[in-house]
Amino acid sequence: MGNKDVHVLRGIDLLVSKGDFLSIMGPSGSGKSTLLHILGCLDRPAYGEYLLDGRNMFAGSDRELSRFRAEHIGFVFQSFHLLPMLNVFENVALPFQYSGSVSLREQKRRVKEVIRQVGLENRMLHKPAELSGGEMQRTAIARAIVMNPGILLADEPTGNLDSETGEHILEIFKKYNHAGGTVIMITHDREVAAHARSCMYIKDGTIAVPSV
Amino acid sequence: MQFHPFKFISICSLSFRNLLQHRLRSALSILGIVCGTMSVIAMICIGEGARQKTVAQIEQLGIRNIYIKALPLSETQKQKAGDRLSPGLHTGDAERIEKGCPYVSETACLKEIRASVMGLNADISPPIAAVSSSYLSVLNLSLYQGRFIRDLDIQNKNPVCVLGYRIAEKTGAKVHIGEWLRIENKIFTVVGILRQTAQKREENAAISVRNCNEMIFVPINMPDMEKDLTEIIVQAEHADRVVLSGKMTERIMEVSHHQVDDYQMLVPLELLHQAQKTRRIFTVVLSAIAGISLLVGGIGIMNIMLATVSERTKEIGIRRAVGAAKTDIVFQFLIESVILTSLGGTAGVVVGIGAVRLLAFMAEWDTVINLFSVILPLSMSVLAGVFFGLYPAWQAACMDPVSALRHE
Ligand SMILES: Nc1ncnc2c1ncn2[C@@H]1O[C@H](COP(=O)(O)OP(=O)(O)OP(=O)(O)O)[C@@H](O)[C@H]1O
Ligand SMILES: [Mg+2]
Repeated sequence: MGNKDVHVLRGIDLLVSKGDFLSIMGPSGSGKSTLLHILGCLDRPAYGEYLLDGRNMFAGSDRELSRFRAEHIGFVFQSFHLLPMLNVFENVALPFQYSGSVSLREQKRRVKEVIRQVGLENRMLHKPAELSGGEMQRTAIARAIVMNPGILLADEPTGNLDSETGEHILEIFKKYNHAGGTVIMITHDREVAAHARSCMYIKDGTIAVPSV
Repeated sequence: MQFHPFKFISICSLSFRNLLQHRLRSALSILGIVCGTMSVIAMICIGEGARQKTVAQIEQLGIRNIYIKALPLSETQKQKAGDRLSPGLHTGDAERIEKGCPYVSETACLKEIRASVMGLNADISPPIAAVSSSYLSVLNLSLYQGRFIRDLDIQNKNPVCVLGYRIAEKTGAKVHIGEWLRIENKIFTVVGILRQTAQKREENAAISVRNCNEMIFVPINMPDMEKDLTEIIVQAEHADRVVLSGKMTERIMEVSHHQVDDYQMLVPLELLHQAQKTRRIFTVVLSAIAGISLLVGGIGIMNIMLATVSERTKEIGIRRAVGAAKTDIVFQFLIESVILTSLGGTAGVVVGIGAVRLLAFMAEWDTVINLFSVILPLSMSVLAGVFFGLYPAWQAACMDPVSALRHE
C-alpha cells in the first residue's frame, strides 16, 4: 500500500474544552476522519502530541490505551458498525467486555437504561439486520454512551439517514451534551452543524476557519 | 490480562455461536483433528492391550523361571545324539542344575503323557502331565482342595492324581477327593483339586502357557514311563539372578548334553525385556503418526482460522474501537480455535473408543481403554488449537484498527 507517505493532517492545533459540542466540517478527503480517530486514540499521529485532561495519550501501552478507549470514549460511525451476530442488547453491552469489572446486574441495568434513553426498549432482542437505519444508529449511540464515557466522537452520524431521523439523532446528542458530555461531530451538512455550539472547518489537513 | 469468569463465558458462548453459524465449514475443518485423535486413542488402546496380554502371559510363566524344553529330533540328529551319548532331557539334568548353580532355588520337571482317561464324558480328553512335587510352587499354583503330588508319592510310585479346576468341574460331583480315575489301564486316586487360574487359551509364537485348569497331574517316574522329560523349569532365587542363572544353566546343559541341541531354553524375563523394547519402538511410531495427523489437522484449523480472521476484519475493527486491546483479540480467536479443536478431539475420542470397542468385539483383540488413552489425545487436540490458532489470532490483533474499520 504505502509506496508514498501521505501527510493527511498538517499542524492542527486544537483545543476542545470539556462539555463542548463541536462540529467539524470540510471537504471530502480533508482529514476529518483521521483527526477524529486520533482524538479517539484509535490512530497514532506520526508527529505531535495529544493531551487529554493534561495526560499524554500516546505514552501508554496498547492495553492502557484500549482500556481508556473502552471507558472514556464513545464512537459513532456513519455506517453504524454494529456486530450483525449480536442483538441490540448484546451490541450495546459490548464495551463492558473490555472495561474494568462491573457486576453483571449493574451492566444489565445500564444497558437497559441507555436503550430506553434512545427509545429502543421494544427492539432489545432484534438483530441489526432487522432494524431500520435510524434504529441502528440509535443502537450505536447507546453502545457509545453506555459506559458514560465523557467524550462522544461521531463521524457523519446522520450521513446515511433522512433529515427527520437525523434530527432525532441530534436530539440525543444534545441531551448527552446538556448532561455534561463532550461531543465532537463530523458532518457535511450545514443544518446539522448548526445544532452544535461551535464549528470548525478543515481543508487539506489544516484548520481553515478557526472554531468560533 | 485480567480474568473474569463471566467475560470468559461470554467470549466462549460467542465463539460457539460463530462456529455454529458456519456449521459445515467448522465440521469439515475439524475432520483432520478427529482422525488424528481417533488414531491416537486406537493405537494406545490396542498397544496397551497387547502389552498387558504379553505381561500377563509372561508373569504366568514366572518372572524368576527359566524353561528348558525338549526338542523333537530328526533322524540324523538322533544319530548324532546317540554318538555323543546325549540322553535327552531327564531328571538328572534338573539335579545337576540345582547342584551346579548357586542361585537356583528350585527346579521342577514335567512330562506330557498321551493317555486316555476312562470314566469321563467321551468328549473330554484332558492333557495329562507327570510332574515333580515342586511344580506347584514353581508355577505359583494353589490348591482348591486336598494336596498336591508329594515327593513320597514319587518315591513310592503312588497312583495318585491332582485335577485342574475345570476338569473337576466338568466331571461334576462324580469325581471328588478320594475318588478313583482310570487313566489307560491304571487306577489313580484323586488327592487334590487346583484352584482356578485366570488363563487364556490363546497361544503366542514365543510363549505357550499351559492351561492348568484343564489338566490332570500325576507323579513323575511312574512305572513303565519313559525317562525323557518334556520340560524342566528352573527357578532362580531372585529376579535379579535370572539372567546369570540362565547363563550358568546353559553351560551345564551344554556340557551334560555334549552340545547336542535336543533342548531349547526360554527365559520369560528376557521375553519381557524384548516386549518392552518392541513397545518402545511402537511408542515412537505411535507418536510419529499422532504427530503427523495432528499436524495435518492443525494446519486445517490454521487455514480456517486465517479465513475467519480476514472475514471478520470489520468485527475486529469495531471491537478495537469499543475498547478491545490486542490481547483481547488474540484471546478471542484463540478460544475459538481451541473450541474447534477440542470439539474435534472429543469427537475423535468418542469415535475412537467406539472403533476400539468394535475391534475388541469383532476381532476379539485385547484392548485396554484407560484414563491416559482419553486424556492424551484430548490434551493434544487442545494444544493443537493453541499452537495453530496463535498465528491467525496474532494476525487479527496486529491489524490496524482504522483500516480494519474501513474494511468492507
Ligand atoms: N491509511 C491511509 N493511507 C494513505 N492515505 C490515507 C489513509 N487513510 C486516509 N488516507 C487519506 O487521508 C485523507 C483524509 O482521509 P479522511 O478519511 O480523514 O478524510 P475525510 O475528511 O474524513 O473525508 P470524507 O469526508 O470523505 O469522509 C484522504 O485523502 C485519504 O485518501
Ligand atoms: Mg470521513
